This record gives sequence, structure tokens and C-alpha cells, in this order.
Amino acid sequence: MVEEQEKEDRPLTGDLMFPVRCFTCGSVIAQHWDEYKKKIKSGKSERDALDELGIERYCCRRMFLTHKSIIEELARFHGAVG
Amino acid sequence: MRIDFLDENELKARFIISDANIALINSLRRAMKNLVPSIAVDYVDFYLNTSYLYDENLAHRIGLIPIKTDLDKFNMPDKCVCEGEGCPNCQISFRLNIEGRRTVYSGDFTSDDPEIAPVYDNIPVIELYEGQQLMIEAVARLGTGKEHAKFQPVSVCGYRIVPEITIDAGRCTNCGDCIDSCARNVLEEQNEKVIVRDNMECTMCMECVKICHDRAISVEETGDFLFTVESVGTLPVRTIIKKGLEILKEKAEEMNSILEL
Ligand code: SF4
Ligand code: SF4
Ligand SMILES: [Zn+2]
Ligand SMILES: [Zn+2]
Repeated sequence: MVEEQEKEDRPLTGDLMFPVRCFTCGSVIAQHWDEYKKKIKSGKSERDALDELGIERYCCRRMFLTHKSIIEELARFHGAVG
Repeated sequence: MRIDFLDENELKARFIISDANIALINSLRRAMKNLVPSIAVDYVDFYLNTSYLYDENLAHRIGLIPIKTDLDKFNMPDKCVCEGEGCPNCQISFRLNIEGRRTVYSGDFTSDDPEIAPVYDNIPVIELYEGQQLMIEAVARLGTGKEHAKFQPVSVCGYRIVPEITIDAGRCTNCGDCIDSCARNVLEEQNEKVIVRDNMECTMCMECVKICHDRAISVEETGDFLFTVESVGTLPVRTIIKKGLEILKEKAEEMNSILEL
């Protein structure tokens, strides 16, 4: 399953869904999400990844740090994936 | 009144406005936040949505995606020739028809006008699994932050009073208590004397004044203001500042004409 996803040009990440904007300050952050995940996957610390992406305020930083995927939980009640 | 830019790029600017007063500065802040218009998706037609998100949920997400705005191209809906009904002069549609399995990004929307498109094309909007389909038309229009925060062209937009910190050399005993008490590291010691390192960092919390037993340090307001403005990408910061000032001027002139009557 994982391999199959990786082959596609836009793989599913299983996140539902990263907020488009920071709840507190309203700046747009979702454009960094894919890049952030890539950096974390390559073994970088969250701190370094966020610093490199230029996300400086702690309101925006916590958006990344505290995001939890719930698509799998939801999918169980939907029937299509699970 | 003078404006000096400290640093500036397309999305963020820091500048000092000197010899002004709070009332004026605050109205400029509010004008930039609430009255400078920008484009956002306001209405979404769902022809088909078999994804995991509800229509409303998805429409809300799409509304938050910033869209490049050209203020000369569009009219405000209430000032348009169509009188708010919706026409090409005040509206623009984005179409999307995608089947799973894949992630839908903001760049997947096809716009009527290639220049009016999402600022970022890699904002994940939703993930579609096998057999799920999304067929929508999103209608964007000009609006102001007064109406809904998605129309706000700025995220961070605030000011801080630039203080004047003076240390009375005759009274100061160089105990260093003020340096330790300052959370912003404004003060530092140099040649066994307390000096001001960077008064732009000072938040005027007055901790240093409270802790000084010899009343040697004072922090006072000046007429200078340090402004920080950050654009969400719909308009360049300079345009937002200019437009904000224009709107303020318009309002003042309107007030004038009312008083003259
Ligand atoms: S606390 Fe007062 S006396 Fe002590 S170093 Fe600071 S200004 Fe001087
Ligand atoms: S007022 Fe507060 S921030 Fe400013 S120098 Fe004193 S302790 Fe530091
Ligand atoms: Zn934030
Ligand atoms: Zn119109």
C-alpha cells in the first residue's frame, strides 16, 4: 500500500487536513506542510525544519507541532478506506 | 510625519512612523486590516462531493486560500454595474473536477483569468480516496476584512511605541538589576556602565523602572511607532500600506464635506 502511494505523483499523506491558516495570527501556513513532512521524514528535528521554513511565531509553530491526522478514524465509519 | 522602512520585501515590512499620534496610527492599522479589499472565494457550487469532508467544511477551507488580487480589474460588488448580482467585473470562478485517488491542491483549480489564481499552488485542500469525486465551482469576489477575516490582506499588522530609555548616570550605581529584569534583553553592560542595546525591542513593561531602587532609569513614550505588516500574499505589502492611507484620506475628506454642509 505504501509503495503504491509513493509511486503516484501526488501521494496521499493520510492527513485530514492541515489547517490552511494559523488559528491565531491568520498567516497562510499550509503551503509549507508537504515540505515540513519531507524534512521531518529525512530525520530533521521539528525545530530545525520550522526554522528553515521561516516560520518564526510560536502560534504558527504549534500548528505544525500539534497537528494530528484523523482520516483513518473517520474512514472506519465511512466504509471506503480502513 | 515621516515613514522610514527598516526592512521590506514582497510579504513583510517593518517601518517607523515618526512624529505621529496613537489615534492616527491605530486608524491606519484598522484601515489596513478591515478596509483594504482583496479577493477570496465566497460562494461554492457543489455539483458532486463524495469526499470525507462536508460541503460547508470544504467551502470554508477553499475560502481561506489566498488569491492574487488585482484591484484595478475588479469592482466591489455593491459598487458594480450589476448592482451586486454578480458579473465578470466583480466575480471570478474557479473550477475543479477531480477523482480519487489523489490529493487535491490549490493549484488544481482552473481559473477564468490566469492572472487571478491562488497565491500558492501547493496548499493541500482535501484528499480523495478511491471512488471519491469532487466537482465544484468556486466563485470569488472582492471583500473587506470587516465582512470576513478571509478577505483581510494582512495577517500580522500591528505597531509598538518606540520608547526612549534614559539612564541617569549620576544616580545609577551600576548594580545591574535592570539588565537581569529585562526579558527582552534591551539593556546591557559595557565598560561597567549600563547602556541601551536596542530600544526597538522594548515592550515598555516597566520592569526595569520598578526594580531600580535609585530611580535612575526611566522609560518614556515618544511619538515614534514601529509598525510590522505582513501580507498573506494577495497584495504586496506596499500596496496594502498605500491603499490603507488612501482609504484614510478618503474618509477624512468625507468627514470634511459633511462638516461643511
Ligand atoms: S537598576 Fe538602576 S541603579 Fe541598577 S544598574 Fe539599573 S539603572 Fe543603574
Ligand atoms: S521597559 Fe521592560 S522591555 Fe523595556 S527596557 Fe525596561 S524591562 Fe526591558
Ligand atoms: Zn500564527
Ligand atoms: Zn458586477
